[in-house]
Amino acid sequence: MNDQNERKGEVIVDFDFDFGTDPKALDISGKVHQLPCTIKFDGPCPVSHYFKPKSTGIEVDGLNLEEAYFRGRKLQGATISLPEGYSGYVLGKKSKASEQCDDSSPWQVKAKFDNITYWNHDTLPSQDDTFQRTFHWLTVAQALHKPVTAEDLASASTALKNLS
Amino acid sequence: MSSQDSLPKWTSKPCVMGIDEAGRGPVLGPMVYGCLYCASSYLKQLSSLNFADSKTLKEEKREELFEDLKANESIGWAVDVIDPRELSSKMLNKVKINLNEISHDSAMGLVTKVLSMGVLLTEVYVDTVGDPEKYRIKLSEKFPNIKFVVAKKADSLYPVVSGASIVAKVTRDRALREWALEETAENMHRNFGSGYPGDPTTKCWLEDHKHSVFGFPTLVRFSWGTCTSYFKDVVEVSWESDKVDEDGATGGSGKKQLRLSNVGITTSKRKSEEIESSGKGRCKFFQARKLEQLSRF
Repeated sequence: MNDQNERKGEVIVDFDFDFGTDPKALDISGKVHQLPCTIKFDGPCPVSHYFKPKSTGIEVDGLNLEEAYFRGRKLQGATISLPEGYSGYVLGKKSKASEQCDDSSPWQVKAKFDNITYWNHDTLPSQDDTFQRTFHWLTVAQALHKPVTAEDLASASTALKNLS
Repeated sequence: MSSQDSLPKWTSKPCVMGIDEAGRGPVLGPMVYGCLYCASSYLKQLSSLNFADSKTLKEEKREELFEDLKANESIGWAVDVIDPRELSSKMLNKVKINLNEISHDSAMGLVTKVLSMGVLLTEVYVDTVGDPEKYRIKLSEKFPNIKFVVAKKADSLYPVVSGASIVAKVTRDRALREWALEETAENMHRNFGSGYPGDPTTKCWLEDHKHSVFGFPTLVRFSWGTCTSYFKDVVEVSWESDKVDEDGATGGSGKKQLRLSNVGITTSKRKSEEIESSGKGRCKFFQARKLEQLSRF
C-alpha cells in the first residue's frame, strides 16, 4: 500500500522499514502482494500482522497454491518469480537535498524484489490469469526489437518467395 | 472429533440421531454442528438423562452433561466445527452460499460421517433451518433410507436433539475459549464475550480490534450485518468480483446498466473502472493482458 495508484489489483507491500534511513535496495522479495481489489489507502500498514498467507502444499497448473484471507474473503494465490533479467522496484521521490547534487531523475530506488505473489478471489491461480499473461509481452518485445541477422533476412525472403 | 474408535455392537441395530447447531447467531467464532445418536431401544433411558435444550442450562451443567454423555457407552456423538473464515468467505464468494445452505451441508455431512462409520441410522431428528418441510425433503432425497423429522425447537422437543445441542454448544464454547488468534498485532485480547452482537463484552472486543485496512481479525464473520456499524471510518475496499456482479452478467437490470454505460453515461462505477489498467484503445494483445502504456508516473 505504498506509492501505488488506486488501481484494481492493488499491490500491497509489507514495509517494516523507515523510509528516511538507509533506503539502498532493501530486498522485499516475498513481501509484495497483488490483490484482486482496490484498497483506497496509501501508507504504511502492519501487513504481516494481519495478512497471513499459507502454503497449501497443493500444486495447480504448475503453481504452488497459497491461501490467505482479506476482509473476510478467501484469496487463492501463487508466488511467481520475475523473468530472468528483470527486477521489481519500489521507487520513491528523492529528497530535496540529494536531488540538487544529482542527475535528472527525481526517483530513487527504495526497495527491490524478484518475485511477486498475486491473489485471485475465488478462482484458482492458473497460467491463463491476466497477470501471468502480461509477461508474454517480454517475449514479444524481444522478438520485435531484436536486431535482424543476415540469416533472418535470408529465411524471410525464402518464405516470401514461396508465398508468391 | 468423534467418540468412537471401535464401534459398539448396538450401532448395528436401528439407531436414532439428533442434530443441532450452536453459534449460528454470533458475529465471531466458529459455528458448530453436533449430533448425538443411540440405539432406538435406548431412547427411553436417554430421556431420563435430563438433557434439556442447551440454552436453558447453565454452562457448568452443560459441561457436566457433556462429560457424562462422552463416558456413556450407549451414546455416540460427532461434531463439525465451521471456521469463521469459511463462513465469511462462502457468504462473500462470487457465487454466494448463504448460511442456511452452509448449515444444511454441515448437517448432511454429519449424517454421512456417522453412516460411513457403520452406524445403522433409521431415524434422524433435526432442528430446522429455514422451512422445515423443504429441509425435510432435501434431507430425505439425499438419504432415502432414513426417516427425517425436522421441526422448530426440536432441541426442546426431542431428548436426542437436546443431547446434540449440548454437544454443539459445549464444543462451540470451548472452541471460542481456546481460539488461537491468527493475527499478531499488539494489544489484542481474548475477552470475546459470548460472540452475540448484543453482548456488551463482544461489542467492546469488536471496537478494540477493528482495523482501518484489515477490518477485523479473521475470528470475526465479516459477512454479518453487525460488522457494517464498525466500518464507518474504515478504508474503502472494492472488489473486482463485486463489480462483475453489479455490471450484471445476470438479470435484466444488469443488462440495462451495461447498455447505459455503452451509450457513454458516466457513473461513478465507470470512473472506478477507468483507473484500472485496461489497455483500452490498444491492440487486442494488450487489452487481453490489461497492459497499458505508461509514459510518465
